[in-house]
Amino acid sequence: MSPEPLPAHIAAIERPSPPLWTYYVLQAIASTVAFPVTIVLLYFRYHTMRYRFDAEGIHMRWGILMRREVMLNYSRIQDIQLRANFVERWLGLARIEIQTASGSAGAQMTLEGLLNFVEVRDFLYSRMRGARHVGETSPAMGSNESLAGVLTDVARELRAIRQLIEARGSHGRTEH
Amino acid sequence: MAALSTDPDFHLNAFERWLLGALNVPEAPQPPDGSPDSIRVFRAGRNYYLWSILIWAVGALGAGVAAVSVSLPLVLAIRRASQWGEIAAVAALVLIWSAYVVIAGVTFVSRRLNYGLRWYIVTDRSLRIRSGIFAMSELTMTYSNVQEIRISSGPLQLLLGIADVEVQAAGGGGQREHGGGGHVGRFSGVAHANEIRELIVDRLRHYRDSGLGDTKHVVTPPEVGDLAAAKAVLEEAVALRAALATPP
Repeated sequence: MSPEPLPAHIAAIERPSPPLWTYYVLQAIASTVAFPVTIVLLYFRYHTMRYRFDAEGIHMRWGILMRREVMLNYSRIQDIQLRANFVERWLGLARIEIQTASGSAGAQMTLEGLLNFVEVRDFLYSRMRGARHVGETSPAMGSNESLAGVLTDVARELRAIRQLIEARGSHGRTEH
Repeated sequence: MAALSTDPDFHLNAFERWLLGALNVPEAPQPPDGSPDSIRVFRAGRNYYLWSILIWAVGALGAGVAAVSVSLPLVLAIRRASQWGEIAAVAALVLIWSAYVVIAGVTFVSRRLNYGLRWYIVTDRSLRIRSGIFAMSELTMTYSNVQEIRISSGPLQLLLGIADVEVQAAGGGGQREHGGGGHVGRFSGVAHANEIRELIVDRLRHYRDSGLGDTKHVVTPPEVGDLAAAKAVLEEAVALRAALATPP
């Protein structure tokens, strides 16, 4: 079974959208005295934030000096929370907080600055465990699939070697 | 916006409608994927509104007492203060009481709307809980991940016949601000807590694998493809040996 193909609009997500920067500026202004520090931190956070959705999970990384990289598997998602305060809603933003079964109360991954957050949430929901009934589930079997692929390649190589040997053998026989 | 509230008896006034528009509060949530006939939408009980307003009244009363206790010395000070002192004291009084009125008004409206705009959607596979006005949150959770269901109510809630149903997923933490934190889906102030519990338990029965761990059906045996490929390799290897073994 091949891994379920990723919808194009999900696979295309790489960076947070520009309104997130506006939100970060407002957030920094709201921090009043801490503004100079906050704005620098948020500037780098915004500019280094990268998303990658693949067949099995989400990768997210950000930071320059303090680099963070989080990966999580769709099937390990416990619950998805869509949050937006009114400032975010004015900017057309929302946060998608993803929980796994780890020991912290906070979200394990917060997807920020996505304009199509409802679509992303629905996509994540569709890949969650239990979102589909038994039989509907199409497991992501990328590694096994590639194992069969590798074996097929090995067989093809062996066949090529055999054909070479046979060609040499028959060639030798005719000369003999 | 007319049918926005889940309670048919709950009517938004013009100001509240305007506020919802200004705050860009989204329309009623879409139910998560599942069979359409299994979708049931619950809402907070009517008494939750009463409870919520009572809590607000107690808070307003407390804040009022605090404001009075701050105002009294100021009023007394005005009598013997200089002209500028008098102006400063009056300004402080005006500030305190206008802040009190504004905050009381805002919290009242937000409590009202918080009651009215609350959805607890239950389908055959998952549940979705939406709440909040200023800060909105919408939680989606599948039954496969549910670990436990808890019903709790305080003495006042018992008296009013309402309870909170909490659906807990695996993981720590839980109670964060407004109870909307991770791992918990909370049906706040529902009147038919037992009915909801029964419904969820009944639907959970279809997920005997609910909780942590992988489900059996997730791992469909991929051996067919692998085995066939491995056999092809073996066949080729045998043929290769045969080709080598054949004397030239």
